[in-house]
Amino acid sequence: MFDVIMLALVIVCFALAAAYASFCEHLLGSSPGKDVSL
Amino acid sequence: MTVIGWLQIALFAAIVGVLTRPLGGYLARVYAGGRTPLRPLIAPVETALYRLAGINPQTEQSWYGYAISFLVFHAAGIIALYGLLRLQSVLPLNPQAMTAVAPDLALNTAVSFVTNTSWQSYGGETTLSYLSQMAGITVQSFLSAASGMAVAIALIRGFARRRTATIGNFWVDLTRGTLYVLLPICVVAALSLMADGVPQTLSAAAEVTTLEGGLQVIARGPVATQEAIKLLSGDGGGFFNANSAHPFENPTPLTNLAELVLIFALGAALTNCFGRMIGSERQGWILLCVMAMLFGLGVAGLYSLESGVNPALATINIDQTTSLQQPGGNMEGKEVRFGIAGSALFADVSTASSDGAVNSMHDSFLPLSGGILLANMMVDEVIVGAPGSGLYGMLLFCVVAVFLAGLMVGRTPEYVGKKIGSSEVKMTILALICIPAATLGLTAIACIAEPGLAGLGNPGSHGYTEILYAYTSAAATNGSAFAGLSTNSPFYNLTLALAMFVGRFLVIVPVLAVAGSLAAQPILPHSSGRLPTDRALFVCFLFGVIVIVGGLTYLPAVALGPIIENLQMLGGTLY
Repeated sequence: MFDVIMLALVIVCFALAAAYASFCEHLLGSSPGKDVSL
Repeated sequence: MTVIGWLQIALFAAIVGVLTRPLGGYLARVYAGGRTPLRPLIAPVETALYRLAGINPQTEQSWYGYAISFLVFHAAGIIALYGLLRLQSVLPLNPQAMTAVAPDLALNTAVSFVTNTSWQSYGGETTLSYLSQMAGITVQSFLSAASGMAVAIALIRGFARRRTATIGNFWVDLTRGTLYVLLPICVVAALSLMADGVPQTLSAAAEVTTLEGGLQVIARGPVATQEAIKLLSGDGGGFFNANSAHPFENPTPLTNLAELVLIFALGAALTNCFGRMIGSERQGWILLCVMAMLFGLGVAGLYSLESGVNPALATINIDQTTSLQQPGGNMEGKEVRFGIAGSALFADVSTASSDGAVNSMHDSFLPLSGGILLANMMVDEVIVGAPGSGLYGMLLFCVVAVFLAGLMVGRTPEYVGKKIGSSEVKMTILALICIPAATLGLTAIACIAEPGLAGLGNPGSHGYTEILYAYTSAAATNGSAFAGLSTNSPFYNLTLALAMFVGRFLVIVPVLAVAGSLAAQPILPHSSGRLPTDRALFVCFLFGVIVIVGGLTYLPAVALGPIIENLQMLGGTLY
């Protein structure tokens, strides 16, 4: 039982990390080549 | 302090300095797929591995594809290591009949070694079978180091390339780092360590009768092979609980020096590799200079504090002077074989480099020395760091530095010919904020939660430092322990695993995003309006940015721990 919970935790964490990568891609896509406002 | 002590430190720094350029050149050739002396021997193995895994080495990936490959590979690594630890009691190579590792401890250990942290809530010789040590811990030490270097190389390609959508192939970089860099060095290092007395055997622990007639069980095993990669990978997880303070892991002052060099060698060489790949070795030396300044400050502080007078002992008239009969200073928790200089140097190298191996007990250092060890980790392990993580951490700070300089002087931020735009700054901040968020957030929870307080070995500010150190070490993927805190509980095993996960994966994803964003840009022609990043002025500026960002983030937290403890010690209160 504990093993299932631990493995589920790992899978959830990596799914969140993959979603985080998509979020970063979205952030990059929303400001391609934009200058930093000085 | 003694002249011999300073000479030890200087000798170590000189060896690392001498190795940096040839090793950096070798790394650059390996990752470019160029000719190396080992290529005829290793290339057939490399090709066979690609065929077996169905990888086309000519195909490159976007940053997103690179990041997903990285995540998938390490998710599989955690599950495999977890399974191995849970099943070790029924698997072979278990002469001491170790039982299965508890679920929460197995998860903590799996995350720890896959993330290149090597936080150990267990004692190696009393918990793990030889198979777990060799096929689990040692294998993940290789792979986590190789993947860290791969990420650094991908970021370097981002700076070096122009108008391209790809940053390399993760599987190729991982394979080359393992086969051409880590394995050959480890073979030589393991044989050298064995020659100096480090055991390498599959026999069970030795049972001997002592002179008094008692029975003593002496743990041993395949130590030398794990020791070599433990140091080279920046992983630091010891075969024995005492880590490099154990005479079977670190028998002599010579092995102590060799281990220190192994810890720093690849991290330092990657700065030169960076310089070569972007076409300006000088840029690499600039980064190494900043690392050297931060390192020098730390080791000088540690050595002078630890070899000085302990004010608490001075009040009870204990002789603390250095003489032929005694080393003087604070020898509590230190090996007599290594002395204060060897211990202070090892502690500084270990916490600066993200390695986390120890040859003395950090809990027994004076309060301000403990603060220096914390500070080393709190600057995101940019002082050489683990292979890869030190360089990409330092390059993130370069982005912040040129951005701040651009704001101050009204110039468009540029670094080595690449414009630093809002995309790069957003990703950099995202990467830099993860570690303090995990460290400070989880420390705060542990300080008020009942299971967090239950693990404390000491009350007051020292106990708080133990908790802060544990989460700092985990989130910075260092892995060294302050000791004193009992962390083998479900609460600490799971929260420390979370800190390690955040500190590794949530940092690397935006680093790769920066690489992808930079690779898509052209390389700008040199102009007089560009901030020169290959001058001494930039060294000082970058140094200042790292210290100020680290200070602003962590000073309040450190003030509650080592700084208050030092004031209490001066007032006569000890923990």
